[in-house]
Amino acid sequence: MSDRVVVLDNGGSTCKVGVNLKHQPHSVFPNGTGKIKGERQPLVGDQLLACGDLSTVSIRRPIDRGYLVNSELEREIWARAFRSVLKVDPNSSSLLLTEAPFALPAVEELTAQLVFEDFGFHSCLRVPAATLAQKAHCQDQPGIAANRAACGLVVDAGFSFTHVVPVFDAHAISSGIKRINIGGKLLTNYLKELVSYRSINMMEETYLMEHIKEQACFVSTDLRADLHISRARQSPNRREYVLPDGVNSTTGFLRIPADPLPGSSRQPTVHEKSSEQVLMMNNERFLVPEVLFSPGDLGLQQAGLAEAIVQALEGVHESLHPLLLSNILLTGGSAACPGFAQRLLADLRPLVSDEYEVGVYMPDDPITCAHRGGALLAASPAFGQAAMTRQAYEEEGAARMQTIANDD
Amino acid sequence: MSGARPSKRRSTRDKKTSQRVGLVDKAERQQAASARLDRLEDDQDAGEALGHLSDDEFRLDDSDEGAQIGEGRKRKKGGKRPGVKRKTRGQLAEHRGPKAFSTLLDEAELEDAPEDGLSYLTAAAASSVYPARKWCSVCGFAATYKCVRCGSQCCSRKCFGTHTETRCLKFTM
Ligand SMILES: [Zn+2]
Ligand SMILES: [Zn+2]
Repeated sequence: MSDRVVVLDNGGSTCKVGVNLKHQPHSVFPNGTGKIKGERQPLVGDQLLACGDLSTVSIRRPIDRGYLVNSELEREIWARAFRSVLKVDPNSSSLLLTEAPFALPAVEELTAQLVFEDFGFHSCLRVPAATLAQKAHCQDQPGIAANRAACGLVVDAGFSFTHVVPVFDAHAISSGIKRINIGGKLLTNYLKELVSYRSINMMEETYLMEHIKEQACFVSTDLRADLHISRARQSPNRREYVLPDGVNSTTGFLRIPADPLPGSSRQPTVHEKSSEQVLMMNNERFLVPEVLFSPGDLGLQQAGLAEAIVQALEGVHESLHPLLLSNILLTGGSAACPGFAQRLLADLRPLVSDEYEVGVYMPDDPITCAHRGGALLAASPAFGQAAMTRQAYEEEGAARMQTIANDD
Repeated sequence: MSGARPSKRRSTRDKKTSQRVGLVDKAERQQAASARLDRLEDDQDAGEALGHLSDDEFRLDDSDEGAQIGEGRKRKKGGKRPGVKRKTRGQLAEHRGPKAFSTLLDEAELEDAPEDGLSYLTAAAASSVYPARKWCSVCGFAATYKCVRCGSQCCSRKCFGTHTETRCLKFTM
């Protein structure tokens, strides 16, 4: 067994990659290739970080609905990650790789081929990101009683979807895992759709819209009140995003509108003073993340996050409910949206018994904490015991890799 | 906002749509709703097809865009989307190369008894026990009207007017 373990949190949006014993990922970059208009050669993975003008990039991603489907594309991205970013030789390294729960056999196979046949890693362990995040949380907050049993409920609000994962003794409890088919990508596209209809057509600028969403959106902690105040012409929730003009500026910025615009608030698009284009936003700012708490708003027949947690608990022995509820960990890019934790607590409290304490925690690094937990696991003896070696893969194939992954 | 229900205002504007259909049935509405949810998962921008094309086709798009460079930035006002023809999932499946997740999911035939009863399908959160809320499809505030033709919600006659002019029965957004 090689000592060097590459830790790769292979998310739908970004790769978080590093080598063991370093708790912070060495690099976080888009898990995709991006084509700039007019350029022939797409930028691969970390090369996109150097690209200043987000508005002209269109991205291809190897991950669809949270699962690896395009291994050719992923190979290009990983090749850069291992050889140019980390400068490691996969042949003499092991890999700790995150994988979403309940991966299909076909996805398992693509992944195993990539890891062992294309890159030739010495050994590999695949673990759900939520379990790793819980591990990091245990180290951050040793005072929490549930953490002493390595027990907690992880809400992973990622790019492709949102998972509720009960963890006990550092392992995910499969029967309690619940998934809402809403992630950051859907929220970005939904915001894009709304502003394109109401303000300026942004349908071709998804990458920029992602940035705008991160700047502008918040989770309402009192929906009725926020809707009420947003109705006013001078709604305090109004913001305008000044779009980059592509000449003087390559990134835009958010600001509070200076004057109430005359007439309907939906009409104006071009600012009077200059040629700058501004994107008007008002109730979109909170009605977009709202769909995670009420997917029915979008016509999706699934429960919102608080209800999904209740459904998750139904799949777990009752004796664990108090521990799980006392230690809810929020991770993933969407969890970083302001108001997320308060809203979840407000929604969940009335749905569970008064006798139970409900504790909601947010790490300082909701996007990279799973990687940090991965680094902890990679440095522990448990990694070597659970990882599958290339030799075993060659002898027994992907099926065995699958059973190992499911035991976790 | 009193007076005639907006549904009665079947006015002159939408000859095109009224020629096409009178009413859209529930199944069609559901189909449109799930197609929209699918679109919200797309990687590619509206001007391009889904992200599962071969490199050859990918480059083909590229040259089209090259021609647009001189035209400056193309942000159109209003809700008009470029008339993009999307590939259907069926067409994509015929294509060699990577498959979309939905294709892999179909092929996995998870309905036929996973060993421990747990699978990708069973992990999906079930429906909410609460009734769906109603928001205006135009402005986003609480809706009180429902378009009888397409089932979209609207809050006022004003928004309903916008709805019939822009996207009633088009299911574009
Ligand atoms: Zn309205
Ligand atoms: Zn309609």
